[in-house]
Amino acid sequence: MSNLNGIFTDGMDALAQQVLTSLVVVQQQPGRGLRRFFAGAGAGIIWEEDGLVLTNNHVIGRGSVTVILNDGRSFPAKTIAREADIDLALLEIPAGGLRPLRPAADKPRIGALVFAFGHPFGRRNTVTRGIVSAFAKARTRGGREIPILRTDVALAPGNSGGPMVNVLGELVGINAMIMGGDQSISIPVSVAREFTARVLESRHSARSPQGEPVEGPPGRPTGVI
Amino acid sequence: MANVLVELSDSLASAAERAGQSTVMVNARRRIPATGIAFAADLILTADHVVERDDDIHVTLFDGTELGATVGGRDPGSDLAVLRLERAAAQAAEASSTPARIGQFALVLGRPSSEGLEASLGIISAINGPVRTPRGGLLERYLKTDAISYPGFSGGPTVAADGSILGLNTSGFSRGSSITIPVDFAWKTAEALAAHGHIRRGYLGIRSQPVEVAEDQQKTLRREQAMALLIVGVEKDSPAAKGGLMIGDILVGVGGAAVADHDELFAQLTGDMVGRSTPLEILRGGTVTTVAVVIGER
Repeated sequence: MSNLNGIFTDGMDALAQQVLTSLVVVQQQPGRGLRRFFAGAGAGIIWEEDGLVLTNNHVIGRGSVTVILNDGRSFPAKTIAREADIDLALLEIPAGGLRPLRPAADKPRIGALVFAFGHPFGRRNTVTRGIVSAFAKARTRGGREIPILRTDVALAPGNSGGPMVNVLGELVGINAMIMGGDQSISIPVSVAREFTARVLESRHSARSPQGEPVEGPPGRPTGVI
Repeated sequence: MANVLVELSDSLASAAERAGQSTVMVNARRRIPATGIAFAADLILTADHVVERDDDIHVTLFDGTELGATVGGRDPGSDLAVLRLERAAAQAAEASSTPARIGQFALVLGRPSSEGLEASLGIISAINGPVRTPRGGLLERYLKTDAISYPGFSGGPTVAADGSILGLNTSGFSRGSSITIPVDFAWKTAEALAAHGHIRRGYLGIRSQPVEVAEDQQKTLRREQAMALLIVGVEKDSPAAKGGLMIGDILVGVGGAAVADHDELFAQLTGDMVGRSTPLEILRGGTVTTVAVVIGER
């Protein structure tokens, strides 16, 4: 074990390469007038291989949204559902064969290593590290109590909507915000699973009896638009 | 290769869990609770500045057990305080057997709420000291880590990768930043506080300022000593006054040890000297004299 640092670095490298394929940029298109100047970009996570992307609600504005994949291809995104209460949004892009992140099966342990992937301050594909600091609860505006994950991982504007993963590259949370400069808050993946299951369930039941989607079929990837 | 990361992550989580069993919540102020370390089954060591009242103190153990506690002793000089639990129910912490090293992993733990243990990861960034503290103490050594001490973390431990305690964290010496009091000093202070209720420090009752010792005076002293302390004030009825020290005397040694500045004088006036007659070496009118002073208590 004399080269522990080297083995650690190689392990980190492999983890990063694995997770980056599931990381996207979520870009708001500028609005009209003054809102032209407030276009922002955050991060997002490939949720399903057929084009579902998970991000924070606060990352997408009112204008149109573009998702840029890690391989550089960009697509217009449709907002399937968004909930300000839990700060999550589910997008769909006309792309297939994507690599989703696997949600972690269990809650992580206090002290476990976790890594945030995102684009802090516009720096694309940045990884920051830390540990799970605490489990807390937050009361949403709608009066719901949801669990939240606190870590000491450095987050900055541009990390929002991106994944917090464990050492196996499994999704443990969606990075949402920093409080007080050093308390990083993530929405636990359990909340995301419940949200997406609800959304997809009601979407599925909106389909015609033959099982075909009410909306148009997802198109083939068309490259940069 | 992922195995190394998994092992590291698991061992950090286990270290937090292990030390977490002796990390308690201390409710002794109106603001958010702070943290403490169980130093014995019935004794909690915490930061003095988080114990803002003398009664209605509650301590919550790792398993949720809530116990009443009383103040066993305080030392504002080192910002440490000992609380005595109503029942010997705590799990005593294990002190690290090796001193901290720069670069080693440091887990900073706190238990500021009933939500449970909280943690942050860093390394030992610096080992500093000695430094005199604002409230009249002397820290021989203190550690700095780059882990984040969240609100309510004062009084809690910095833990090594094996779950043993490296020291006690406190933000009491500077707003907004935390230092770690090394465990050997913290434990020694805890024992003294539990036994005596406070830390005894020797007291002379003089005001002094650093002064150069002229070469011919050093010859008289028969040793090389570039600096000493010129006595510019003697408190009325103090041990110094009773011993016969006067303004104008130059204090060069205490109890056989040379004293060149305030820090050295301070270090010499230890608690065990209280009540003992101690020879003070002075230069007076060009000659060396020894004045016997019964050291008082600060």
